[in-house]
Amino acid sequence: MSAAPPTIGGLERLKRRAFHKPLDGLVTLFVAALLAWLAWQAIDWGLLRAVWRAEDAALCREANAGACWSIIDARHRLILFGLYPFDEHWRSTSAAVAIIATVILSCIPWFWTARRLISLWIAGFATYYLLMEGSPLGLEQVTTDKWGGLSLVLFLFSSVVLLGMPMGLGLALMRRSRLPMLRWVASLLIDFIRSLPLLTTLFTAAVVVPILLPDWLQGDKIWRIIIAFSLFFACYQAEVFRGGFQAIPNGQYEAGKALGLGKWQSLGLIILPQVFRHALPATINMVVVTFKETAVVIIIGLFDLLASAQAAFGTGDWVAYYMETYIFVALIYWAFITSLGRYGEFLKDRMKQDDH
Amino acid sequence: MTMKRGWIAAAVAAASLSGIGTSAVAESATLKTVQERGTLLCSGHNGSYFGFVEVNDKNEWKGLDIDLCRALTVAILGDPDKNQIVPLSWAQRFPALQSGDVDVVIKATGWTMGRDTELGLQFSIPYFFGGAQLMVRKELGISSASELGGGTVCVAAGTTIERIVADHLKAENVEHTMVSFEKTAEVIGAYKAGRCDAYAAWGPSIAVLLANQFEDADSHVILEDKLSAEPIAAAMRQGDEDWVDIVNWMLAALIKAEELGVTSSNVDEMTANPPNPTVARLLGVDAGMGERLGLRDTWAREMITAMGNFAEIYDRNLGEGSPYKLERGLNNLWSNGGVLYTPILD
Repeated sequence: MSAAPPTIGGLERLKRRAFHKPLDGLVTLFVAALLAWLAWQAIDWGLLRAVWRAEDAALCREANAGACWSIIDARHRLILFGLYPFDEHWRSTSAAVAIIATVILSCIPWFWTARRLISLWIAGFATYYLLMEGSPLGLEQVTTDKWGGLSLVLFLFSSVVLLGMPMGLGLALMRRSRLPMLRWVASLLIDFIRSLPLLTTLFTAAVVVPILLPDWLQGDKIWRIIIAFSLFFACYQAEVFRGGFQAIPNGQYEAGKALGLGKWQSLGLIILPQVFRHALPATINMVVVTFKETAVVIIIGLFDLLASAQAAFGTGDWVAYYMETYIFVALIYWAFITSLGRYGEFLKDRMKQDDH
Repeated sequence: MTMKRGWIAAAVAAASLSGIGTSAVAESATLKTVQERGTLLCSGHNGSYFGFVEVNDKNEWKGLDIDLCRALTVAILGDPDKNQIVPLSWAQRFPALQSGDVDVVIKATGWTMGRDTELGLQFSIPYFFGGAQLMVRKELGISSASELGGGTVCVAAGTTIERIVADHLKAENVEHTMVSFEKTAEVIGAYKAGRCDAYAAWGPSIAVLLANQFEDADSHVILEDKLSAEPIAAAMRQGDEDWVDIVNWMLAALIKAEELGVTSSNVDEMTANPPNPTVARLLGVDAGMGERLGLRDTWAREMITAMGNFAEIYDRNLGEGSPYKLERGLNNLWSNGGVLYTPILD
């Protein structure tokens, strides 16, 4: 509010903007009433008339009952952990926390050196894998087909971004290479993968590859999917990076040469930092889209957040409360994606400061 | 994992080399794989499918199809938990079977000609029949579709149900008006609002709906007559007839047990004192049940002890013991007015 010019008070401003003419006033009142009514409906249904506890599920069937959050109370462990064994949920929780912590820590500028980032990610992923799989730690073994829910989504997402980002950069560099062979291979791969829907790529990795490849090359389904998904991500990200490269004037390369820097030195010290800056908004966009696209894995039978949500209301007792379940899942997605978006804003601001 | 695929690849290769004519005593390659792996790989679902494949509050699989997988696991490995249920989407189930990700698909799967021939699958005897059914208000006092004369039937547009109902009522010479709606929710809305006398859909779906979306469930009734029957059966890879035998006899033993009155609670009694030679054979008191399939003689007894007979499995997942309360109807024994029967146990 402090930004408003001091001569015009809040009320005055409202009057000027919303009630300038009688028709304006009418429209304002109408829209405000409509919004208030909608908000009231939502609050009334979602909070006031809602049933909260699993024990009270019978109340949900009463005529004036609102949202039935009992399903979340009763089934949230299924939604969050999928098929992971019930008594071992602390492991899935800790593993998810480890991944989230890794992501948060690597967003802090202090970690932005190659060695720190790499050690951080290795530590984060090792923690996740050891906790989830369990057998190296002497815990009960849980095979990857039982991994599910939110911790699976987080793992898929961070593996894909982690593997896809360097692959994307590599492809972008190959595409700009002076060697025709490298350039040709990169363009072909990028154009090929980008011309296929994600679903086709994943279906091929999950279903067709086991028929074609010999056993020792197959690995678990989840790894095949992560690799295929990363490749998909990398091909798009390579184009994002390419845009970043194209924004850099030739003078920058020449300046590097003039300073006596070698090709890789000038790339690392002068070009890439600028490429990242140019590519940042599009990259954040890619990352957010990837987080949401992990939901596609439901089609190839991974028990992700959406699949476990569907399983949560997919039983006779709870089938009527799909709306509540989807709202719960939507809130989870919203929380993560908003955080990613806010972080992107922070990065942009920070890079602006660097410019001065 | 690699061991598993290795054996399956070997099994598939062996099966294709040896061709169709396997000798009478040949052991199933899939069975051998399962026994050496110590785990049976069954199909699950990427979510829930009412009554057939669901997940309970303890994050464990349950449902009719899951119980059949567990029964098969007991038959082969002696322990209902020695299986791995692989979550699969509908589209994925057959490729997953072909690639060896699962040993058998028990997943509300209809037996069709295309799947049997083009897809290279083999089906077991059907264990469930689901088809179009009608729901009406109790106050109409109707007990069969043929009494619907002059009534209005609501149905979702563009489904096979629409055609099936029309054909059936026409054949029965029942005069009626068909009202179709684009969405299922609209059909239900119209039925609830009294715009139609009957609601037509897939039987098990109506039961789920009735149990959960009707405040006055008691004042509606699902008519017993099924207007169509889709046989639901287990699917296996072509080329391992002995494996099909095992799955068939697993299902047959469950149904036979119901026919003979053997339940999970009286199985010990029956074993100690078999009332007739068939029961003695079924429960492994007399030899012959196991050897011919490459299993233990007591496999059926262990299976019934752990899982119950077919009636118990049905009641637990779809019938009285479940939220769905689905009548047996067609899925009853032939002697009780249904179509379930077994081959002869000699």
